[in-house]
Amino acid sequence: MAALISLMIAIPLLGAIITFLTRTREQARSIALLTSGLSLVISLILFSRFDSSISTIQFGESYPWIASLGVSLKFGLDGIGMPLVLLSNIVIPLTVLFAWGETKQANQFYGLILLELVGVLGVFTSLDFFVFYIFWEIVLIPMYFLISIWGGPRKDYSAIKFFIYTHVASLVMLLAIFSLYFNAWQVSGVPNFDMFYLLKNYSVIESPLLKDAIFLALLFGFLVKMPAVPFHTWLPDAHVEAPTAGSVILAALLLKMGGYGLFRVILPILPFSGSPGKLISLMAIIGVLSILYGTFLALAQRDLKKMVAYSSISHMGYVTLGAAALIPLSVSGAMFQQFSHGLITAVLFMSCGVIQHSAGTRIIHDLGGIAKHMPKLAFLMLAGFLASLGLPGMSGFIAEFLILVNSYFTLPTFVILALFGIVFTAGYHLWAMQRAVFGTYNEKLGHIHDGADYGIASMAILVLLIIFFGLNPNPVLTMMTTNANQLLNFVVLRGVIT
Amino acid sequence: MFSDYAALIVLLPVIAFVLTLFLGKKLPHGGAYLPIAAIAGSFIISLGTFLEIYPTDGIVQQSMPWFAGMNLGILIDPLAVVMLMMVSFVSLLIHIYAVGYMSHDPAKPRYFAETSLFTAAMLSVILSDNILQFFISWELVGLCSFLLIGFWYHKPSAAAAAKKAFLVTRVGDVMFLAGIVLLYVNMSEIITSRAFSVGPENFILQFKTMFEAIPLINPTQLTYITLLFFGGAIGKSGQFPLHGWLPDAMEGPTTVSALIHAATMVTAGVYLVARTFPMFAATPATLSAGVPDSLLIVAYVGGFTALFAATMGLVMNDIKRVLAYSTVSQLGYMMLALGTAGAVVGAQAVGISMFHLISHAFFKALLFLCAGSVIHAVGTNDIREMGGLFGKMKITGTTMFIAALALAGIGIPFINIGTAGFFSKDMIIEKAFEYGELKGDFIPYAFAIIAALLTSIYIFRLWFMAFTGKPRSERHSHESPGVMTRPLMILALFALFFGFAHLGFYDYLNKNFELMTGEKAALEGESLQMSPIIVLLPVIVGVLGLLISYAIYHRRMLDMSKLVSTQNPLYKLLLNRYYEPKIGADIIGVKLTHDVVAQSGEFVDRKIIDGLVIDNIIGNTLFKLGEFVRKLQTGVVQNYASVTILGIGLLIIILRIKFGGT
Repeated sequence: MAALISLMIAIPLLGAIITFLTRTREQARSIALLTSGLSLVISLILFSRFDSSISTIQFGESYPWIASLGVSLKFGLDGIGMPLVLLSNIVIPLTVLFAWGETKQANQFYGLILLELVGVLGVFTSLDFFVFYIFWEIVLIPMYFLISIWGGPRKDYSAIKFFIYTHVASLVMLLAIFSLYFNAWQVSGVPNFDMFYLLKNYSVIESPLLKDAIFLALLFGFLVKMPAVPFHTWLPDAHVEAPTAGSVILAALLLKMGGYGLFRVILPILPFSGSPGKLISLMAIIGVLSILYGTFLALAQRDLKKMVAYSSISHMGYVTLGAAALIPLSVSGAMFQQFSHGLITAVLFMSCGVIQHSAGTRIIHDLGGIAKHMPKLAFLMLAGFLASLGLPGMSGFIAEFLILVNSYFTLPTFVILALFGIVFTAGYHLWAMQRAVFGTYNEKLGHIHDGADYGIASMAILVLLIIFFGLNPNPVLTMMTTNANQLLNFVVLRGVIT
Repeated sequence: MFSDYAALIVLLPVIAFVLTLFLGKKLPHGGAYLPIAAIAGSFIISLGTFLEIYPTDGIVQQSMPWFAGMNLGILIDPLAVVMLMMVSFVSLLIHIYAVGYMSHDPAKPRYFAETSLFTAAMLSVILSDNILQFFISWELVGLCSFLLIGFWYHKPSAAAAAKKAFLVTRVGDVMFLAGIVLLYVNMSEIITSRAFSVGPENFILQFKTMFEAIPLINPTQLTYITLLFFGGAIGKSGQFPLHGWLPDAMEGPTTVSALIHAATMVTAGVYLVARTFPMFAATPATLSAGVPDSLLIVAYVGGFTALFAATMGLVMNDIKRVLAYSTVSQLGYMMLALGTAGAVVGAQAVGISMFHLISHAFFKALLFLCAGSVIHAVGTNDIREMGGLFGKMKITGTTMFIAALALAGIGIPFINIGTAGFFSKDMIIEKAFEYGELKGDFIPYAFAIIAALLTSIYIFRLWFMAFTGKPRSERHSHESPGVMTRPLMILALFALFFGFAHLGFYDYLNKNFELMTGEKAALEGESLQMSPIIVLLPVIVGVLGLLISYAIYHRRMLDMSKLVSTQNPLYKLLLNRYYEPKIGADIIGVKLTHDVVAQSGEFVDRKIIDGLVIDNIIGNTLFKLGEFVRKLQTGVVQNYASVTILGIGLLIIILRIKFGGT
């Protein structure tokens, strides 16, 4: 059966259109769950047929589009994209399920969620740079509306900030893509937006300065998305105002686009850049800075959700660090961190959402002892927090362990710095739990009730997945390692690292 | 036969954990019988495995690949099997006791589920055949201690103690992890340099592989690795300066304290050093490189902790806190044994340390369960409010006295009759003396002997204050039910008679080194002919301590009110635990980390990076640009979206016009 990938993207797109047209909330959410569920089924079929031992593109599809510009609709999957496609298809149906009770403009709400799925699937499967960029931009629009319509009190400020910040970064990236495109065109005389073709032609650019400029422009585009310190300030604001479903998608999927860019675009061209040594150091510094900065900022937060937002910055720092280390297993670890963080952060944001809904506040200081009335939430939230602080037996540990151990070969100082963060990471998680969830019940909260069953169910599924991949990472780790090995062939060949 | 099912030693309590968690509510006693049956099963398999491998000096090894070149596996050698038997046995008794002790608690299913997982995690630490699985299990032990110390999570003090336990041990865990990172990198470099071949049955972080590679690891690196591992052990085994969590851990139910102190947690640190002892033993060669040898550091940290914790044990009034400091101190002895005996008799140190570990497990579990029985009866932890309990609680009183004798190491030298602690602790003190003779450094010995005196004083102070004299509270106390007293009696038998197994135990454990590294354990140095006074001294100080406490706390021959007063700065220092809680939690935790570092980070983030750079400089520029665009556009914010699409469209058109000809 061919064209599975385009089918997987088309179904939620169709679902989104139908959902927009529905009149009742009942219909809207059913169609959203059904179509995202179908998309999940297709991704599971792809996943089961995926051959983890080869690094080349599988299930490739190609359709001509704008021939005169060399733009075509090319899709395909390898060990870099497949796990993220799976992640997207896991997270979106669970987000729909979690947000089952949404009443405000339900048809638009669920429709926008489906559009997000379309966008991220497009990003993770496109092999044409132009199409990739279109999907990259498409993702922004539904998120902008999710924040600005269903958001909190400062939603307008946050939505605009989110939009402008990430859009500017995208435009910088677009300039780099065009440079690559025109450069390749000049060399061959034929326009072609094929991603691998453009990346391969990066090495023929003569000026080292231009090479580095292109590299930095692309890197900037991805680092803003991840987000990495110091380009992160849009994230806490966006999260604080976004509705829970928006935050889950933002943290679990949208941030992963940045990391994906590192593996898909940055690592292949890094060995050919003008000054690879300096660029590696730059990435390593940004990675470790994000880890430590995110940790300490999380410790300073009073709002539970903002704390989780900063923890995302810290965890995504591991991705940058692992990628910069250029060791096959550190890069696989970084890819696994993306997958794992997607699952874990979804649980954390859902926990914040349930608490906000029940207690009416997320300020840690105003909560206290809520485990008494919300035992199920407390249990799942604790599981999520433990996963987030890197408890072995859960997926986050595997990722961080691989990154720390293997990055030591090339970046020992940075690993030692990152290790210091671990205690404080445990610190802010447990301190928040102690103050918000355990201890004496804060009677001012009145009588609060536990999370709704559908919300609890989607959190429970995520926790089970976190434990499953923590005990047995191989189903996704093997394919990541295959591609990481292939990515780093050039690094070794070029003698960038010994 | 039993050894084929060794994986069940861990899996049975894991299954019991899941079943109890979800079905416990519907079962009698909160499902307590599930973990009890499961741990009994673990004990039977451990015992059966021991009986199988003991006659042939065999080991059990099973391994399967896991991820990224690492493996999951089981290694049961003499070191592991004695630990397995002790942990499953002591844990079983504590679980049975808990049926009575926890009978009134509504959250019994959660309690028994968590203690079952706790036991499983510890058993998994013991039989791991590689350092990664060891670390993972070790962290799960930490998790369970967090959950159980915070079992009554609605109590703020319990929630705080749980967090403290997790974070303080986490400091050690990070060092342990750093040690693994360093070890992995070294192993990997050795393997890629082809100096050392790894067969398909060997995995990179397996103990077997590690020990074979020791001669090839750079000695300085080896010292760092072992010291980092020891850092992990310091956290887990409550050694100075990471000892503070253990006395606070008594916020959990007393049965949990018994588990933590005897079977399932703090011994993991000592076990880590014992397990990786071949690496520690290989480090002294680096002295010339200006790096201290690891065993020396182990000896000094252990010895100092033994004395340091004992001083605090003297003044505590909470019965469980006295016992907690006692555990810290006794763990110090075990570390001291590894360090000093390691220098004197090499790998035999493992047997000496482990023998004390196991005899301590029996009498410390007994002490805690007796304390639980007392607390159950009188409803307070404060020994000043107890007194005269012996008349009402004969079994508890007698068994606790036996445990106190064992802790103080009372026995008769030369004819070798005595309690478990007499054999195990005196051996350590003797080896510390031999170390002094050998190296001309008697400081570890001084730590050990002074701590022995203090140990005896604090434990008999506790016993005399609780069980003799006039009752100091009105509460009607009574002996605990049979389900609680029978485990006490069984443990008392072990506290009394386990010591007689010492020779066989040392012999068996000495085989461990040979089995693991293929070399014979160094047996150099016939036991020195020691003067009788040195042999007698540990017992003398033990008896002396008993007499001092008898005189002060039973006969009231001395007026202590001058000493025991907050006017006395020394007493105040001890009572405030050398201000460790203040320095650790208040100054380092809240003031420095949160108030200074994190808050200034917040300031930089919000006011400088975001406020100044993004909002003011870049934002204002964009805003002005926006004003300009707004004149062209409708000014509706949402049109930014259409601008993007329009932008892309325009680009396409421009491109078509410019390059369309081709």
